[in-house]
Amino acid sequence: MNKAYQDVENAGGVLAVIQLDGVSFGYDPEHPILHNISVSIPQGQWVSIVGPNGCGKSTLVKLMNALLPKSGGEITICGHQLGEETIGAIRQCIGMVFQNPDNQFIGATVEEDILFGLEGLCLPYAEMEERLRTYTLKLGIEDLLAKHPGELSGGQKQRVAIASILAMKPGIVIFDEASSMLDEASRDELLRILQGMRSDGQYTILMITHDADEILASDRVLALHGGGLAADTTPQALFRNAELLEKCHLLEPYPWRLARELQSRGIRVDVPASEKELIDTLWPYN
Amino acid sequence: MAIQLEQVSFTYAEKSLWKQTALHDITLGIPKGLLTGIAGATGSGKSTLLQLFNGILKPTQGTVKVLDVTIRAGEKSPKLLPLRRRVGLVFQFPEQQMFEDTVEKDLIFGPLNFGMSPEEAKERARKAMLEMGLDLALLSRNPFRLSGGQMRKAAIASVLAMDPEIVVLDEPTATLDPVSRAELIAQLERLCREQGRTVIIVTHRMDELLPVADRWILLKDGKIAFQGSGGELAADPDILTRCGLGVPHSLRYWHAIAGQFGLAGERPRLTAESLAELIASLPGTVRSGNTAGMGDAHE
Amino acid sequence: MNERLLLGRSIETGSWVHKLDARSKLTGMLLYVAVILLSDSWLSMVLLAVFSITIMASTRIPLKYFIKAAKPLRYLMLFIFIVQLLSVKEGDVLWSAGSFSLHEGGLRLAAFSVIRMLFLITFTALLTFTTTPGKLNQGLEGILAPFKKLGLSPDRITLMISIALRFIPTILDESQIIMKAQASRGADLQELPLKEKARMLVSLLVPVISSAFRRAQDLVYSMEARGFRMDAPRSRYHRLRWGAADTVFVAMFIIMGVAVALL
Repeated sequence: MNKAYQDVENAGGVLAVIQLDGVSFGYDPEHPILHNISVSIPQGQWVSIVGPNGCGKSTLVKLMNALLPKSGGEITICGHQLGEETIGAIRQCIGMVFQNPDNQFIGATVEEDILFGLEGLCLPYAEMEERLRTYTLKLGIEDLLAKHPGELSGGQKQRVAIASILAMKPGIVIFDEASSMLDEASRDELLRILQGMRSDGQYTILMITHDADEILASDRVLALHGGGLAADTTPQALFRNAELLEKCHLLEPYPWRLARELQSRGIRVDVPASEKELIDTLWPYN
Repeated sequence: MAIQLEQVSFTYAEKSLWKQTALHDITLGIPKGLLTGIAGATGSGKSTLLQLFNGILKPTQGTVKVLDVTIRAGEKSPKLLPLRRRVGLVFQFPEQQMFEDTVEKDLIFGPLNFGMSPEEAKERARKAMLEMGLDLALLSRNPFRLSGGQMRKAAIASVLAMDPEIVVLDEPTATLDPVSRAELIAQLERLCREQGRTVIIVTHRMDELLPVADRWILLKDGKIAFQGSGGELAADPDILTRCGLGVPHSLRYWHAIAGQFGLAGERPRLTAESLAELIASLPGTVRSGNTAGMGDAHE
Repeated sequence: MNERLLLGRSIETGSWVHKLDARSKLTGMLLYVAVILLSDSWLSMVLLAVFSITIMASTRIPLKYFIKAAKPLRYLMLFIFIVQLLSVKEGDVLWSAGSFSLHEGGLRLAAFSVIRMLFLITFTALLTFTTTPGKLNQGLEGILAPFKKLGLSPDRITLMISIALRFIPTILDESQIIMKAQASRGADLQELPLKEKARMLVSLLVPVISSAFRRAQDLVYSMEARGFRMDAPRSRYHRLRWGAADTVFVAMFIIMGVAVALL
């Protein structure tokens, strides 16, 4: 931990593990892909990043660990200011799960894939063995160690990717549309994994997503539009803001929509948590 | 019936040590002019099933009847080229079929292969663009420069340009944002309702297709787990769970309310609008449901 | 589906061959090639056969898997057999019709060529059947390590091989889907005249290549995000361990080579 980071902690301030100040990206200064983005994310927060395709969501997160080079502004991750000599340290702080389960499977088997990152950290054998066991158990893939990617479903491959990344013990985990190629059952599973990570308390989660359930489960929403930050809000406020939803190409979750449709017909209900709750509210005497 | 399968099985790499049966003893019928949804968990055989519909794969057992063409296992199949024009198969990712440097060239590729004249093909291309609700100005653009949703629609248009009677789509909305997904589904419904084409859509997101599909086929482990109308499916949503699929909110709410009021036989109301309308018309609905104890925003 | 059939598919049975150091298996393989080239009599062929089949059997992998591995090359082997049989005019005449004749020497050389090829292929299959790609790579890296002094980077070579092994099946799978997509639009490679085929091949290559580049880009992101840097130091989970069994294994090949050379 470096000094600046410790100072904040000692001062009792809220620890911003991700700090962006006026960050821009673009090869052509006249038409930047991202323009002047400033945001501060405290430790332990779960943040959804939303916006229409092509608005720069994926670019933004790739700037944070220098997979893409920023063209302006300052980025500070876990107290390290992003620069040539801090890239290594920053990449250790950030783990990333990408969209396509196939293209991020580096090893020939599940075991090799998890070991790829650990070997890069130069960990001793016992430590690798311990982490391999811990994180395969955590993700429920302990029986798949010898499997090839071709023998796994998309959901299983994403779990392997998550295990590979968590085993490297990053403080920040970024999910770049990690659920968009999964089927419904695997998406539910991913959501449960994320909820487990949140209750763990040690992870700051950034998630690029279009999925209403995933957004609702998060603490905060950053909406990007046209290369800029269009809104910094909560999931509840996002789903009540029709204009913002439209701008971000999102749809509200079904229960929200149903409540809205009922309200427009003069039936005053809140968003129901379940179908049973709705029935109990509408017909309490039946 | 547009497509009929009788006791069809399909085995990959039948003669090898690693042979794998993807479909077991499938008997099904897909009626003409309707919109049919096919769903199933990963590995349930959905994609294999689709490829039987235009003869890309041939059954290892049983009989496949598509329009007036019959393909029997073990027999030499008739010439399939004419069938492939009449059954348009759209694969999941547009990147896998677009290859020309303009959208127009990509769209006339199919029609030219099926022997249309260049003028005729271009006319078909323009028609197909309009059918998919795309601007004709896009014809001169590079397909790889289109937005995700546009590219998806252009890929579908490249199949529509062959003027198929049956359009089969594999996960057409995967990786699109929710608004683009809804737009695309609406466009596909129009193909069925307004143009009278038989539309078959494979999906693992049933929520978006539920309000528009006339019929459903559910697969589990290469076998048919359900086939019937949307209403029949709505009467027993648990079947989805058994197939490893989630039960969409719309179906859950309809099922609960239909159960409460004995509406099981009616046409299911699977959109928020139609269900709200129904609720408003039901007797005894409490108009001010803001009861104490109900939190403002639930997760 | 292809992914199951192709390259680098190891079959775990836990036999002693599976447990060997990949370096000894690679060394054994090189020696085996020498043995094959030295074998030039019926007796050495028999010896070779007994030796090879014994080792294959000791892996506890069914023999039919090895035979399957050679199957794709059966026509090539037949072709080589016929060419050698017809072209070599040495030794006793076995059969003749007019100016046409088959000689004992031709039959012998033809048979030897095919037997050599058969054993070479099935025995290479043994290497991939009993060794996971990762271990194989590590073994290769170990064997190439001395070349570091010559400016060669074993890590790079093995990384290249492992990525290729990992992605070739994926890309073949994808090519098949693309081919099906084009066939669905009336461009069936099998049903077209030759001159059209060339045009269709282009229509196939564009999406295959563009998708391979996309995959490559994704893979680079994924590797860099996991902290990968070329030539940076790495620790190893599976360490290469040269045991007594490895020495015995390699010695067997040396003895075999000497025996064949003396015959």
